[in-house]
Amino acid sequence: MRKFWLKIQYTKWFNITKDGLFKENPIVVAVLGICSALAVTNRVENAIAMGLAVTFVVTASSLVVSMVRKVIPARVRMITYMVIISAFVIMVQMFLEAYFPVIAAALGAYLGLIVTNCIVMGRAEAFAVKNPMKYTFFDGIANSLGYTWILIAVAIVREALAFGTILNFRVMPETWVNWTVMALAPGGFFVLGLIIWGVREWAQNFEVAAE
Amino acid sequence: MNRVFKIVGFVVAMGVITSSLLIGMDVLTSERISRNEEALLQSKILDAFEIPYNTSNIYDTFVANVEQVDVTIEGTVVPIYRNPDTGSISFEIEGGGVWGPIIGVLTLNEDLVTIENVGILAQQETPGLGGRIVELPYLAKYEGVVFDPFVEVLKEGANAPNQVDAITGATSTSSAFQTILNDSYDQVVPAYQATLGGE
Repeated sequence: MRKFWLKIQYTKWFNITKDGLFKENPIVVAVLGICSALAVTNRVENAIAMGLAVTFVVTASSLVVSMVRKVIPARVRMITYMVIISAFVIMVQMFLEAYFPVIAAALGAYLGLIVTNCIVMGRAEAFAVKNPMKYTFFDGIANSLGYTWILIAVAIVREALAFGTILNFRVMPETWVNWTVMALAPGGFFVLGLIIWGVREWAQNFEVAAE
Repeated sequence: MNRVFKIVGFVVAMGVITSSLLIGMDVLTSERISRNEEALLQSKILDAFEIPYNTSNIYDTFVANVEQVDVTIEGTVVPIYRNPDTGSISFEIEGGGVWGPIIGVLTLNEDLVTIENVGILAQQETPGLGGRIVELPYLAKYEGVVFDPFVEVLKEGANAPNQVDAITGATSTSSAFQTILNDSYDQVVPAYQATLGGE
């Protein structure tokens, strides 16, 4: 068992996944995509929906970029990513509007703005365009789940403090006074800042100024 | 030269593939999306008429309890929804907000002057500021306000029966909404009265 575990730790896909989820987490370490992380985290259900939408877009667009990486002319590389990403975002938007109109309404403009989420473009340029599809798949999943779990963590704190509930289940005592500020943007900044600090402290990830 | 052809060919191929995917997706979902939008409009009107319904029977309840009067305004047919029991009417209102169109439903009392209910179907206002226009406690302020001579959205001190408080910190959205309400009212209500008179 121990040997098996050691063996896994040296596989490429394991390290890619670990990087995406923790070591190079897009929100905590790279601080990408925090616009939507602040905007949709006032309710846990919105965070989950946004996380799933981004997971689909990142994984699908990275896979397509990786698939066509040998035929993309270098000069139109960026515009190619953009077209592929927008196509997937519009598809997600249509799907949610058709089958989950309530969630689509709750995410509002931020659903369409996945196009501008730096994580998607970042993974395409930093990973997908230079790596084969199987590793790109792990990279896409790991990075977007890294984004999703931070979103959910922020949303759990915010929803509990702002509405006294988690996923609409009452978790706070009846006497709890809702912190309205937690439902607004400043609350998002406080909680996200604290979580970034906490995770970096725990992972011993410190930025060292260049000499 | 060869490289230029390659780039152009790639861009064209990419455009064709992605647009056909999107067209396919649109064909698959557009019917459901328009049905969802219709259900939203119908549920807002049923809310305004205080007719009970649940998510599975919106359409049937709507057809059974609401009658539709088509009114022609400047060559286009506009549906007006009427509650035959009370005589109140509902119609869609639309106009420019700060970032995009605001679409809503206005319900008037049988006197065609007093607001019974205002609902919002779609808006793209600033979240937390103008976006608060969708909040029911804010929209409830419009109940009982009269179009006599017109509805006025004021920053503070709304006292007269035709005045409402604006949304705090969202002056542009509030004044855009005032314009939308009054313009829609001025267009629809005279046309509706003319249609009724002509029958």
